[in-house]
Amino acid sequence: MRIALIGNQNSGKTTLFNALTGSNQKIGNWPGVTIEQKVGYISKGNHELIDLPGIYSLSPYTIEEALSRAFLLQEKPDLIINIIDATSIERSLYLTTQLMELNIDMVIALNMADMFDKKGISIDIRALSEKLQTTVIKISALKRSGLNELIDIIDHQSYMKHQTQNIFKPNVEKIIGHLVNQIHQEHARFIAIKLLEKDPIIESEGLDIDKWIKPLEQSYKQDIETTIAAGRYDYIEALKAQTFVRLHHGDHTTELLDRVFLNRWLALPIFALIMFLIYYISVGVIGTLTVDFIDGQISAFAGFMFDWLQSIGASTWSASLVADGMIAGVGAVLNFVPQLILLFILISLLESTGYMTRIAFFLDRLFKKFGLSGKSLIPFILGSGCSIPGIMATRTIEGQDERRMSIMLTPFIPCSAKLPIIALFASFFFPNHAGLVSFSLYMLSIVIILLSAIIMKTFFFKGTPSAFISELPNYKLPDIRYTIRDVYDKIYEFIEKAGTIILMSSIIIWFLTSFSFRLAYGVDVDQSILAYIGRVFSYLFYPMLGELSWATSVSAIQGLVAKEQVVSSMAVIGGLSADITEGNLILNAPIYAFFTPASAYAFMAFNLFSAPCFGAIGAMRKELGSAKKMWQAILFQTGMAYVLGILIYQVFTIIGGLL
Amino acid sequence: MPTCDLQILSLDQLKTGQKGKVIKIESASKEIKRRLLDMGITPGVVIEIKRIAPLGDPYDIKVRDYDLCVRKADLALIEVHPL
Repeated sequence: MRIALIGNQNSGKTTLFNALTGSNQKIGNWPGVTIEQKVGYISKGNHELIDLPGIYSLSPYTIEEALSRAFLLQEKPDLIINIIDATSIERSLYLTTQLMELNIDMVIALNMADMFDKKGISIDIRALSEKLQTTVIKISALKRSGLNELIDIIDHQSYMKHQTQNIFKPNVEKIIGHLVNQIHQEHARFIAIKLLEKDPIIESEGLDIDKWIKPLEQSYKQDIETTIAAGRYDYIEALKAQTFVRLHHGDHTTELLDRVFLNRWLALPIFALIMFLIYYISVGVIGTLTVDFIDGQISAFAGFMFDWLQSIGASTWSASLVADGMIAGVGAVLNFVPQLILLFILISLLESTGYMTRIAFFLDRLFKKFGLSGKSLIPFILGSGCSIPGIMATRTIEGQDERRMSIMLTPFIPCSAKLPIIALFASFFFPNHAGLVSFSLYMLSIVIILLSAIIMKTFFFKGTPSAFISELPNYKLPDIRYTIRDVYDKIYEFIEKAGTIILMSSIIIWFLTSFSFRLAYGVDVDQSILAYIGRVFSYLFYPMLGELSWATSVSAIQGLVAKEQVVSSMAVIGGLSADITEGNLILNAPIYAFFTPASAYAFMAFNLFSAPCFGAIGAMRKELGSAKKMWQAILFQTGMAYVLGILIYQVFTIIGGLL
Repeated sequence: MPTCDLQILSLDQLKTGQKGKVIKIESASKEIKRRLLDMGITPGVVIEIKRIAPLGDPYDIKVRDYDLCVRKADLALIEVHPL
């Protein structure tokens, strides 16, 4: 069976999905519906479970809702599992009333059963189930209770089959009935109601809808969308009155924590401190500790492999391929895994505890001034892990302009792949202030984002209505299982990339650096193929480096493949250009000796702000909706980076000269 | 509108901790209005102003037993009877 899992944001949907499917997951793609969601398997692979986005309604206005709707209508799942948060039952059931209109069987999983006692909640499950004509099961996704029962019911298909429920007032139902009779399609009731709501996505197929809407709008003295939404909530209120009792409202812990975290005076300083600590610890402190250590180990390993391969009779070039190409290139990137683990854990905690939504809440006013939404902050923070999920997270932003700007600005945040560049340069050129320099780059990225936002708002975006409407969920203890899994997935992806794309690029770079155009091996690197290619580009980078460096230029361009490739490429070229054994740091190679602190900082800035990697460019293309807008974004980003790099180098050099 | 002695205010005019019963929802755009309706702000519902963000906007309101953040500009278009 094909089962769709659907529910509000913060309803525990992802926790339930992970609890049901375990490690049996993949990313699913459906032709025709541009949605990429996790798919898992339950009951020994008998059923496919699709994790749809967390949504509040099936309205046509937000992307995730429109996509979920398209999935339900076109992909025809056999069953819907609708997860409901019992602590905000009215809002949760609002989505349920819409799902009930589809001609698809449904099971309701009533989540947070473990909280019922604490909140004084008591629900008459049987009555609720009878009124909704839908099977309702009490579960706790977090404590994993009620899950076997849920799976049992699915396996035996012992849930109630779909039945039409008339939930609106008689005069509205009468009109819906008329329309249903004229719609000869599946999900007729759903389509009829959407037609009444003047849904822009559903085609009216020649039916004169206005004829029906007018009298309704006159008799209720409000527009039809209000009547329909109010009708749903009226039905839910009546249902709740008959089946639901709650003694303790609110959440005591949340109230207490909010008194501190949302305090008028403390909120911003606490936020600044948290962000500083996250990046200072993971990028600065841990960075300098682990990178040197692992770098030493990897170069020792490379040296060992080189000697060993030669001792068993391998040719010099093949030993060099392994040591200077593969190990040096991949190793330069793997150095950063410990830092990334810590960074990903900390970001995951921000997200899963509920603090992230609060940041969006108290910074909205500030961001609004720059033409952004407080919700833009979520993509930015996620983007410090990886731009791709950051760009995807812009989907929750209501205003189209704000969303587009956020998509174009998210890549400006130093992502984990740019972290190797920052860490390497900062610790080499600013050994005593590495943490501070790293932090200054994050600060610089915020300044650049706000500056770019002003430029974009002034010249490109003329303004569509914007809003900030967001649920403020209760604080939650982090779900350790989820955090581990989330971090594991991201680290796995990083390492996989090192073993595939970076490895291959490193081999290519090794080849181009070791051979001349006449395919003679062992030429001086300055005579290599890559040197010739790089010289063409080196003129472009001259204004920010103060030197025609083919090695640096050619490495910067490889940032398109993956930003960490910049470091890998520099490592391979550096390793081949000189025999550095002691204190084997890439930047010790004479080929990079021209770097001054000014040019190092300028080069870092260029790499941080220029066009992101191909993966992120693809995500921008998808979310911006056209190749033209994508090119505009890339041009804007690269132009910005180029000007900034030159400015930094020139200004710092002048200041340095005066001192 | 029927004549009544009940005061009508816009939602942003309520003080922190004060409650109001929604009469009418207007909005800058169809999208925003629908979003507000979807989130449970329908005629007749009681809303409490819980907190204002440290920078003065948006507002944290309690509606249908959960917390919702909405900007002042959007609350200004929602009419309520203060309770």
